[in-house]
Amino acid sequence: MSTKPELVVDPEVLRSQVRDKYRAVATDPHDHFHFHTGRPLTERLGYDQQVVRGLPDEAVESFAGVGNPFSLRRLEPGEHVVDVGSGAGFDTFIAADQVGDSGRVVGIDMTAEMLAKSRATTASLGLAHVEFREGLAEGLPVEDNWADVVISNGVINLCADKRTVFNEIRRVLKPGSRLQFADIANGRPVPPEALRDIDLWTG
Amino acid sequence: MLEDTGFGEVQIGPPVDTFGGAAGEDKARAYAVYGYAFLAHKLS
Repeated sequence: MSTKPELVVDPEVLRSQVRDKYRAVATDPHDHFHFHTGRPLTERLGYDQQVVRGLPDEAVESFAGVGNPFSLRRLEPGEHVVDVGSGAGFDTFIAADQVGDSGRVVGIDMTAEMLAKSRATTASLGLAHVEFREGLAEGLPVEDNWADVVISNGVINLCADKRTVFNEIRRVLKPGSRLQFADIANGRPVPPEALRDIDLWTG
Repeated sequence: MLEDTGFGEVQIGPPVDTFGGAAGEDKARAYAVYGYAFLAHKLS
C-alpha cells in the first residue's frame, strides 16, 4: 500500500526521465528542446546581461530555467545559499557574484553530466566559495538551518512529491530566512489523465 | 502548499512567457503555462 496516495506519477520513473532530458541539455546544449536554453533565455527572463556576459559559455549554454529567482530580491553579501537543481550552475554563479567571497553557495544536482560541467566551470573561474554536491531535492545533502537563502529554477515542477521538497528546503533554511525560486504554473486546469501522463511532465 | 509547509509572506512576480517561440509553446498555451518568480519566508 502506498504511503503517498497523492502522488500521480511514480517519482523514480519521473526522475529517470528528467535525468535523461537534462543529461542531453548538459552534453548537447545547442540541440532543439521543447524549452529555450542558454544566453537567449537569460535575456528573455530578464537577467542582468552585463553580469551574464561576464560568464563563460560553459556556465550559460545549458541554462534551462523558467524565470528569474533574483528578480524579487537581490542576494546580500555574505549569505549562505543553496541552489536546488543547479544544473550546469548558471544561477549558482549568479548567486556567487551577489554574495561575494564572504558568502557560500552550494549547488545540488542529481545529473552527473551537469555536476561535471558545473564543477569544471567553478575550477576555471577559481571560485573558492562555490561547491556542487550530488543529491536530490527530496533529500538535500545540507545540514539543518545552514542556509540564508534557497534558490531554485524550473526544478520543483519536475518533482513528483512537492510537499517533501518544500519540507526539505525548510529544514536547511535558518529561521526567518528565504526561499526565492522560479517555476511554472498553469492558468487553466490540467485534466487528471494529463496529470498522470509522465511524458507531459518533461516535454 | 508553501503555506502548508511552513512558509509565509509569499510574493509572486509577474508572468514570464518562458516557452514563447519554443517547441513546447503549443502545450504551454493549452494550459496557460507561464514562469513566475516566488519569494517566501520560513516561518519559525
